[in-house]
Amino acid sequence: MGAKAAKDPVPRVSIPLNPVFGWTVGNWMENFFDGMKEGKILGSRCPDCGRVFLPPRMICERCFAKADEWVELPATGTVQACTEAAVKVAENGDMVDLENPEIIAMVKHDGADTCITARLEGADASIGMRVEAVLNPGAENVLDLLAAYRPMG
Amino acid sequence: MEKEAAIIGYAQTPYEADSNCSRELLVLQATRAALEAAGLKREDLDTIVTANNDYLDGRTISNMRLVEPAGSWRKNESKVEMDGAFALLYALTRILSGDHDIALVVAESQASVYGGILPGIMMLDPTFDRQRWLLNEVSGAALQASAYMDASGVSEEQIAGVAAKNLDNAAGNPLALRSLPGADAAKVMASRPLYSPIRDLMMAPLCDGACALVLASGKAAAKAEKPVWIKGVGFAHDSYLTERPLESMNSLKLAAGSCYAQAGIEDAASQIDLAEVHERFAHEELMSYEALGFCGPLQGGAFFDSGATRMDGKLPVNASGGAMGANVDCGAGLARVIEAAMQVRGDAGKHQAKGVKTALAHGQTGICAQENIVYVLGGE
Ligand SMILES: [Zn+2]
Repeated sequence: MGAKAAKDPVPRVSIPLNPVFGWTVGNWMENFFDGMKEGKILGSRCPDCGRVFLPPRMICERCFAKADEWVELPATGTVQACTEAAVKVAENGDMVDLENPEIIAMVKHDGADTCITARLEGADASIGMRVEAVLNPGAENVLDLLAAYRPMG
Repeated sequence: MEKEAAIIGYAQTPYEADSNCSRELLVLQATRAALEAAGLKREDLDTIVTANNDYLDGRTISNMRLVEPAGSWRKNESKVEMDGAFALLYALTRILSGDHDIALVVAESQASVYGGILPGIMMLDPTFDRQRWLLNEVSGAALQASAYMDASGVSEEQIAGVAAKNLDNAAGNPLALRSLPGADAAKVMASRPLYSPIRDLMMAPLCDGACALVLASGKAAAKAEKPVWIKGVGFAHDSYLTERPLESMNSLKLAAGSCYAQAGIEDAASQIDLAEVHERFAHEELMSYEALGFCGPLQGGAFFDSGATRMDGKLPVNASGGAMGANVDCGAGLARVIEAAMQVRGDAGKHQAKGVKTALAHGQTGICAQENIVYVLGGE
């Protein structure tokens, strides 16, 4: 059948598909970013079970309810998972080698029940490590407000 | 579930880095071969479910041009934008409704067409995780592996050993894209580091391919040769990856529990003869041993070390090579069902395990296996 009939490679054309989506980040993430501009870390809390979401989420899946209470959390937390990245993903989807490996960690802030994934400064990381958020309140891009985490002490 | 629906035919195309043909011809190759295997014609089909993905196919409503090769012209057809193992669930519910006797399920994608692991990044929370460009399917899996290793004490060498087992098994599977006969953990540990502990050979290779399966009602299957009965199915969904404990596959455990209740499985390790699990990363196979009840919580490494899941063990896992041999997006889970059915029939050729009467197949979708589905299959 067709699959094996062709001997020469099929000609390829690049067909761009570049849809642009106009999301708002939503009130919850807006609160989160606005808080960090003032150096505050704000999570959302489920009024039913008390779980605290950071980054803030709108809905608690366990209670099937709006998580619409707000709590200010400390900048400190604990590494729950970590990886040393030897690569990064290029825009074409290839994994390309990083000149200097970097640590990516999932951090649970003290008082939170969910994790933020961010870069961890330094070369070593382990689960259970105590870390603190490096905030950058003056950042132009809201995504840079939480620059990274750094080991404590 | 007792003799209500059976697999009566299936086919897979070879899995290749570049199939060098259109997805329509890939699908036609799989569907015609599956129908021929079932001894049926297009006219016999009552309902069709395709598994494909708009993003992967680079178009919206990507099943639109599958009308022709899926055999669905002027027929009852729908699409599942997930793994084909979930499309099979949809087909099964249609058969169980009593309205249909013959269903065709077909899954396809071509990694040579879409940009590597970019589609996985599009699954992430768009307002934060995606923008920060740190998480993707591989780094997410690496974070899960780190949490699992910390909780269980499993080592990188044990994870590498799983990959080596499957790549060695894949040498017996003529359709596999990647195989390494005689591979050992050291060989896997020497492959390119990606996100620790994950190295290139611990990650299932994305590829081009299609697979198709014909499902029949009990009444229609009674006339078929060597029907493989669906004894049970279970499926469950968990939270987003940063909002759940990562060291265990809780939705797989729930899926297995409801599947086993239907299939009458009380002790999976002794009642299941073989399993095909959808391990997109090698550590997921160890975690699946636990979630599927083959061993106790956090005992996956020890269970692997016992040799039970090797080809000659008491419960071979991924005799086909699993997804380590070929991981076609949308199709690798359905391929696990097909491979499990082949084993029950004794039709697996060079990778046939001995004495398989009851087999388990697993499929998954989402980062860090957020959603899981489990089938138990049996012969006469
Ligand atoms: Zn709640």
